[in-house]
Amino acid sequence: MEETPAIKLSGITKWYGSVQAVCSVNLDIRQGEFFSLLGPSGCGKTTTLRVIAGLESPTAGRVYLEGEDVTDVPPYRRNVNTVFQDYALFPHMTVEENIYFPLRMRKISRVEARPMIQEALALVNMSGFEKRYPHQLSGGQRQRIALARALVNRPKALLLDEPLGALDFKLRVAMQKVLKDIQRNVRITFVYVTHDQTEAITMSDRICVMKDGLIHQVGTSEEIYNSPSSIFVAGFIGDMNFMEGVVTERHGDEVVVDVNGFIIRSGRPMGNFVVGEKVMVCVRPEKICAQDVCNLEDMQRFDNRFQAVITRIVFRGNDYEITVGLGEASMRLIESASDFKGENEGDSLYVGFLKEDVLLYPLQAEEEKTHEQLD
Amino acid sequence: MNSSIENTCPGPKKSWNRALLQGLPIFMWMLLLILVPLAIMFVTSFFVKEGVQVVHRLTLRNYLEFFTNPIYLPIFFRTIFLALSVSLTALLLAYPLAFFISRKVTRFRSQLYMMVIVPLWISYLVRIVAWRTILGRVGVLNSLLLALGLIREPLPFLIYSPFAVYLTLIHIALPFVFISVFSSLEKIPSNLLDATSDLGANSFQTFRHVILPLSMPGVVSGFTLAFVIALGDYIIPQQLGGLNGLMFGNLIVSQFGYAFNWPLGAALGFIMFAVAVAILFFSQKLGSSEGFLE
Amino acid sequence: MKRTGTFSFLRTYSVLVYFFLYFPLLVVFLYSLNASRSTVRFEGLTLAWYSRLFHNPALLEALFNSLKVSAVAVSFAVVVGTTGALFLNRVEFKGKALFRSLSMLPIILPGIIVGLSLLVFFINLRLQLSLWTVMLGHMTFTTPVVMFQVLARLQRLSRNLENAAMDLGAKPHQAFLYVTLPMIKRAIVGGALLAFTMSFDEIIITFFLIGTTNTLPVYLYGMLRFGLSPEVYAISTIVLGFSLLLILFMARYTGTGEEIYGKR
Ligand SMILES: Nc1ncnc2c1ncn2[C@@H]1O[C@H](COP(=O)(O)OP(=O)(O)OP(=O)(O)O)[C@@H](O)[C@H]1O
Ligand SMILES: [Mg+2]
Repeated sequence: MEETPAIKLSGITKWYGSVQAVCSVNLDIRQGEFFSLLGPSGCGKTTTLRVIAGLESPTAGRVYLEGEDVTDVPPYRRNVNTVFQDYALFPHMTVEENIYFPLRMRKISRVEARPMIQEALALVNMSGFEKRYPHQLSGGQRQRIALARALVNRPKALLLDEPLGALDFKLRVAMQKVLKDIQRNVRITFVYVTHDQTEAITMSDRICVMKDGLIHQVGTSEEIYNSPSSIFVAGFIGDMNFMEGVVTERHGDEVVVDVNGFIIRSGRPMGNFVVGEKVMVCVRPEKICAQDVCNLEDMQRFDNRFQAVITRIVFRGNDYEITVGLGEASMRLIESASDFKGENEGDSLYVGFLKEDVLLYPLQAEEEKTHEQLD
Repeated sequence: MNSSIENTCPGPKKSWNRALLQGLPIFMWMLLLILVPLAIMFVTSFFVKEGVQVVHRLTLRNYLEFFTNPIYLPIFFRTIFLALSVSLTALLLAYPLAFFISRKVTRFRSQLYMMVIVPLWISYLVRIVAWRTILGRVGVLNSLLLALGLIREPLPFLIYSPFAVYLTLIHIALPFVFISVFSSLEKIPSNLLDATSDLGANSFQTFRHVILPLSMPGVVSGFTLAFVIALGDYIIPQQLGGLNGLMFGNLIVSQFGYAFNWPLGAALGFIMFAVAVAILFFSQKLGSSEGFLE
Repeated sequence: MKRTGTFSFLRTYSVLVYFFLYFPLLVVFLYSLNASRSTVRFEGLTLAWYSRLFHNPALLEALFNSLKVSAVAVSFAVVVGTTGALFLNRVEFKGKALFRSLSMLPIILPGIIVGLSLLVFFINLRLQLSLWTVMLGHMTFTTPVVMFQVLARLQRLSRNLENAAMDLGAKPHQAFLYVTLPMIKRAIVGGALLAFTMSFDEIIITFFLIGTTNTLPVYLYGMLRFGLSPEVYAISTIVLGFSLLLILFMARYTGTGEEIYGKR
């Protein structure tokens, strides 16, 4: 028997008037895990979080906290707290009063509360800021106060809505570490909303990828990175080459695709394909090897090998991104600066990759294709 | 695998929002103090007074009266003309001032701004007292001119004339026009002006081709507001207008005085309402005038 | 230079406009101090006219009536205007823009139409004209004044604040009391002060609805029928000064507390 999930969403659907925000979301979030909701803007992440917090009641579906149905329980009786994207610190209260607020709602006296407030401030490394007002704090400091305020009651789960969205890059990286450390210390379930895939991959135990109110995939970072379940996920997480092709043969798990006259073998078809079907061929740039890097024997083990013309070389600091043409289509690959042999645009290059690294997705509606490219 | 990602969820649900209860007081206010009175005024305007009785039968007699009785139309047009003159003059006074404070002044900007709008909401009646004092036959202006030897007799047209009404209404309307113009001037991004002068425009060209067109919304709304203020006033004409200065508003009020023909009053009131709403609507002032209260 | 030419022209022009705005008010003030009963000659300073006012029972009654009317109209506006603002800020509904425009009507329509329509309404209801009908008349414009001030404030606040309070365990009424109310307090007070000044000074609507009693402006208006007198100037100055005080206080009170909560 599995343990009861900390948070369980079953068939959650939310309409704002005639706008659909989330659609039949089913999720099990485990006790103490760092769970991320990842997706582009408007995909329903905030809505999902607000439904969990009780700030929004779902149009359909049930919400369970530790096995208990809380769908009709108001937010102030749910033992989960939220860190809002804009922090939502009360501007007319000092840091101390802000953190005291949830305790005060539980009728804890100021005297009793003092050590709890101190502890919460220490946890986020903000001791000594008690008397400041929010407008006297920097963005990162406000963020940490919001965190302290949400944690002081020791909720069963902490919901964070893009908590680092407003911070600059350096501070964001630093705060990611702070957050992760805090999560390890307090062992509270974190539900973390972000649209930054790197952030999600580096921090989370598991990730849920959403788009247009639908869940596309739930899994660990590796699962999602290595076997994305849809074209959208494949493109959203990490870098990916997309090429359209037509199925020419299939032998069991191996499918052969014709991309502009180049034959590509795939060992990972994500669906049941028939010969003649149009498909999307996906290969990650870092899985493609160029001949000057791999020696010839290495080259031999690749199921897919081509002679291709370099159309573009971009220096990116510690590596080069090289684009080669495959007929109409093109493919990018990455070469580290130390391996780079000084090729020029127009040179031809021998490239190879394993069939296991080639993913195939069905190309259904024409519209979906354009959709992906826009994203 | 892919086929599992499908939009298969229940449709939207109509739910009675409990928050609507919170809207009840304001809806009742709107209904009972604005909409219903206006509607009743409208209906009443189709009744007629016969003898001392008000006959509850719908007829267009009051409106016919307005168009055929030679008293009403001339005064109506005189009022429109006066209102136009007032708005135009107020605009001519307010625009340079707004431009000066918005674009030329660096110190004491907010104080200078406040000084124009403080009179906005206060002392309507006091201003009437003031202008009567200034314009009176033996008032400040006449005394001054006499003392300076510029005139030998007090100027007769200063008070109890359309001129006195005109001047006092400008005094009332000016701050409104100022705010409208000022806020639209403030909305013009200064980098736009930098760009214009960068492109070689001199300051007059900048004003003519950039500032003036971009401040047009403020000009229009200020003008409209001044027009509506002047259109409806009846106290100032009563106090400073004399016989020649009587305005449409006075005709309306008089239906509630000795004549006590309130159906006719309602009809005249509705005509004014229609004019005011039409012009507010066309300048779209209705939507954008909340700024005054902020 | 041309530029400085424009500048000094604009400056002179502006000074003249300010003179136009303030000279009349100054005249009233000066005449209220004139020792002569004649309003024409100036014969030295006195405060006699002011002290005389305090022995005029009719005037005091009018003043008292004015205060009553304004107090009731403003209290109503605070309650209805504030709930209205909260409602408009929170709830989306069809015709909201129209509703907002309609709420502006009592302020931008000529007062004569508001007064007239209410009078016709009350006549039809066979309602006796009294201070009560005046109060109803004043509620038409005090309410949107408060409402739009509060609404403007609410729209600058993050909607998450109230959510955050509930999320942290506050019941709806606690969230309102501890979080929302302190943040819109200044807007409410500011709106109330502005509404009070407008109401205290109002005559156009009042005139229609007053019946036989007096408010201060109506009393002053009645005096004006007998011509200008030192008492008129004294009353005018008091009304002017009082309104000015309220408005300046309001400007200071609401103007400063935008983000600077800490500096209280
Ligand atoms: N109160 C609301 N009324 C109407 N539509 C809403 C409301 N809140 C959200 N939506 C819509 O619901 C959809 C999902 O919104 P949501 O805020 O959950 O997205 P999100 O994933 O959090 O996006 P972001 O990354 O931009 O914050 C969007 O299309 C949005 O426009
Ligand atoms: Mg969001």
